[in-house]
Amino acid sequence: MPEEIYFLCMLHNIGAVSSEKSMTLEEVARWTALEPEKARTTIYKLVEANYVGVVISGGIQRYHVTVDGIRKVLSMYS
Amino acid sequence: MKVCILTWEFPPRIVGGIARHCFGLAKALVKENHEVHVVSLEFPGTPLDEDVDGVKVHRVIVELGHPSFTTWTLLFNHFMEKKVGALNKDVSFNTIHIHDWLAAPAGIAAKHCLNKPMVATVHSTEAGRAQGLHSPDSYLVDGWEWWMTYEAKRVIVVSDSVKWEIHNHFRTPQDKIDVIPNGIDVTRYQKERPRDSFRRLYGVDPHEKLVLFIGRLAPQKGVEYLIWAIPSIIQHCPGAKFVIAGDGWSRSYLEGLVDSTGYGNRTRFTGFISDSDLVDLTMSADVLVVPSIYEPFGIVALEGMAAGIPVVASNVGGLAEIIEHDRSGVLVYPRNPQSIAWGVNRVLSDPGYSRWLADNARMRVRDSYTWEAVAKKTAKAYERACAE
Repeated sequence: MPEEIYFLCMLHNIGAVSSEKSMTLEEVARWTALEPEKARTTIYKLVEANYVGVVISGGIQRYHVTVDGIRKVLSMYS
Repeated sequence: MKVCILTWEFPPRIVGGIARHCFGLAKALVKENHEVHVVSLEFPGTPLDEDVDGVKVHRVIVELGHPSFTTWTLLFNHFMEKKVGALNKDVSFNTIHIHDWLAAPAGIAAKHCLNKPMVATVHSTEAGRAQGLHSPDSYLVDGWEWWMTYEAKRVIVVSDSVKWEIHNHFRTPQDKIDVIPNGIDVTRYQKERPRDSFRRLYGVDPHEKLVLFIGRLAPQKGVEYLIWAIPSIIQHCPGAKFVIAGDGWSRSYLEGLVDSTGYGNRTRFTGFISDSDLVDLTMSADVLVVPSIYEPFGIVALEGMAAGIPVVASNVGGLAEIIEHDRSGVLVYPRNPQSIAWGVNRVLSDPGYSRWLADNARMRVRDSYTWEAVAKKTAKAYERACAE
């Protein structure tokens, strides 16, 4: 499984599955035990692929899995 | 009877066949005058509680998460279990019905806490999906599957193949197992066949042959064997083009494999497509190939048969029970590209034979695989569970 899709699955499993449940980069990095810079690079790839959405709340960018992203995650699980 | 169905997938949250199965079964049970509640997981844009064709659907919010898939599964089961407990205060269910290991912890807890008989449907096994147990997570899932079959009063399986599989692997007593095949809603395919313009969306011209695969891109679906068959199919049928509809973790490997055959320009990977587009795509195809190496049932084969499309499928599992070789489809050797190519070429080269297969297949599906029949048999399983 490509690394960014594995990361997407983790983002889904930690619950960032809607704009209301979006998380900051720091929160995501903490949950997934990734270095923040690595998490940033990976999340941006997923944003470009439309698997992750971005919301801005209080001037801070927060991230969540989109519907396309949820479908992608579900397709990984048998 | 008041039934609570627990499932991790329910439309529009669709992963594989379980969502379609649960939806078809639930609606048919309602038509048989049962009260059916489905407890599943939240999905964006979908109400948490709704009535769908008489089925009361409850989607739980999973308030806790964890990166690990198996831990996440335990967590969402906890919230499903809480929902079942809350619903039972008003409804007082007769039976809890769980689908696969993913809803097992919630169902088993509901059985003991609410003192209700539990029925479990085994749609597939980890040992079958992974062709053995190769990782700690696999052993964990296998253990949960055994536990589910142990705790259930009745175990429903979708084919004789799965019955023997769980009897041999989990030592489930044969007299505890009910074989109830999947059904299909044939009315979805009773419409005018979309042809040329729809095929062009997938790069297939009217004079070309559309060879279709539908399913998750996972190893047990055997897509690589279809890909290895592509050169031989094109040699016999130069106008063949291939559409691989679905997504999964093998996708990038399979795309690379197609490129290595030199026929990347004749093959399209669609990724996820909507249910309505899937129906149209199926009806537009010249042949549907199901090259699975492990297939407990094979709802997609039924869908091809209902759509009036000739089906070429591996002679494995439920596929071998659904399809009568050389009458309602063509069965080929699994893991064998030459055999797959032979089957596809046979169908593509003889339109009269192809039509005859498809007509027989349509009749077989209409007569033997309705959700009404599935619901009646399932209700009997519930009665047996309540009586024991």
